[in-house]
Amino acid sequence: MLRFENVSVSYPIGKSSRQVLDCLDLDIEPGEFVTVIGQTGSGKTTLLRLALGQEMPTSGRVFMEGEEIREPDRHRGYVPQKYSLFPDKTVLDNVTFGLEVQRFSLFGRVTPAFFRARRRYRQEALEQLARMGLRRSDASKYPDQLSGGMQQRVAIAQALITRPRILLMDEAFSALDPNTRGGMQDLLLDLWRATGMTILFVTHNIAEAVYLGTRVVALARDLESPGGEQMGSHIVLDMRMPDSAGRHYKQSAEFARLVKYVEEAMEPPRQTDQLAAAV
Amino acid sequence: MTLWKINAEPGRTMTWFLSWFLFASGIALYVYTAHKRHLENPDDKVVPTFRQLTDGFYNAAFKPEADENSGPGLWQRISGSMLFHDTVASGRRFFIAFALLFPAAVLGLHIGVFPYIGAFFLRFILFFDKIIALSVLPILFIAFGIDELSKIMLIVIGVTPTIILDSFNLSKGVPKEQIVKGFTLGAGNFDIAYLVMLKQIFPRILNSIRINLKSVALFLFAGEMIASDDGLAYRIALMRRHMGMDTIIPYVLWVALLLFLVDLTMRFLNRRLHPWFREI
Repeated sequence: MLRFENVSVSYPIGKSSRQVLDCLDLDIEPGEFVTVIGQTGSGKTTLLRLALGQEMPTSGRVFMEGEEIREPDRHRGYVPQKYSLFPDKTVLDNVTFGLEVQRFSLFGRVTPAFFRARRRYRQEALEQLARMGLRRSDASKYPDQLSGGMQQRVAIAQALITRPRILLMDEAFSALDPNTRGGMQDLLLDLWRATGMTILFVTHNIAEAVYLGTRVVALARDLESPGGEQMGSHIVLDMRMPDSAGRHYKQSAEFARLVKYVEEAMEPPRQTDQLAAAV
Repeated sequence: MTLWKINAEPGRTMTWFLSWFLFASGIALYVYTAHKRHLENPDDKVVPTFRQLTDGFYNAAFKPEADENSGPGLWQRISGSMLFHDTVASGRRFFIAFALLFPAAVLGLHIGVFPYIGAFFLRFILFFDKIIALSVLPILFIAFGIDELSKIMLIVIGVTPTIILDSFNLSKGVPKEQIVKGFTLGAGNFDIAYLVMLKQIFPRILNSIRINLKSVALFLFAGEMIASDDGLAYRIALMRRHMGMDTIIPYVLWVALLLFLVDLTMRFLNRRLHPWFREI
């Protein structure tokens, strides 16, 4: 569905350049819940920007259902960590926004047909918000009157109502407190199970990645090569995860083992080798 | 000493007293000076007494300029008065210039949102902004004549670059996530520009226009003082020749009051129109 083909990204810094991603290949199947982890600077956000079309790879190509991605469009929904809601619109208007702009042009918005359609959109948006656990009274509030968790619920509702083929989430729960975060993870999993949509979820939290994903992809950077050249990140782990259903999964020994395994896979192995050689 | 305490909490009465103190002492000092000067010289024109000031204001605001228009009604007296004519003449210029600031703000938005438009305009406007508007006044008089157009052009040249650059900066300040989010929801380029960007920076644009009202008035007064045959600033400049302080002082206060009212109205409207905006 979403395919990265031999993708490299480097940013110019003065006369030299900084390699961020190095010959990355990744193929995401429909219905998968892929979580991407990596430390700060490992290029996981770059990966998401490539998937959005916000950025083009330096070499290689990114495809969405066989078509090369060039710009952000309505086939790929987006939930960033911050600024995902329009501050000037109420919760309800934030959710109906996608439906409105997809079917009506700027001038179409003054026709009676628009106002008739908007009544339907509002009904649809209210149902979507109810599924996300928001009360009817929240619909007329402005985003900054909601807590961080509630804002992200609205952001997901806003992204899902236009039925994108894949949902791209960038550290979507990273600004939330642990309790809210856990609740949001379960909510997202329930949504995913109910709809069977495809999700690409970027996070730096390994436990979150293991808990949410059906497949965990870890990015890491090698140490400097002997030539002193900075190498880009590549996939160090691409692993299927068991079904995380069940409320006590997070407390299970299997979960802890998986988290530890992923953690170890992300540590640069060559560092220990080099240290051993030096000793 | 509580005076220098940052955490001090002055009471209501104290705050009231302190905040009016400078007004009261200013008025008292004025009345005293006027009284003293009139004791020495009953014909003193530099510091008119309170009585002369109210008479001056009454003559300006409630007496028809030309005798043939004098009617008995209050409205006829007001609408025929000097102050009314001057206010209408200046107000017309002010609001034409004021209205032209809105297209300027929209241009700034386009410069910030569309890279090609930005490439075309930005450098030029950055340069244009540095031209001292008053220095081109002679050119304006030669090019547009000394009637209304040159005065409005002076205001436009003086204030619009600031507004354009300000709304450009405001549109640049909108997080990129908002634009990307808009596109992923299926919005078109103009949907993003007007429904996402313009809508959320509009209260800040109004604030920026509010802050620049003084510049508008300043350029208006400069134009009127130099070349005009009506308007509030024209009258003030004219009265200077006759040492007509009894008219000048009420005019100065009247202009301040008008500007204050425009500012207040804009602040009120901004709050009413944008309940989500909390930085006013």
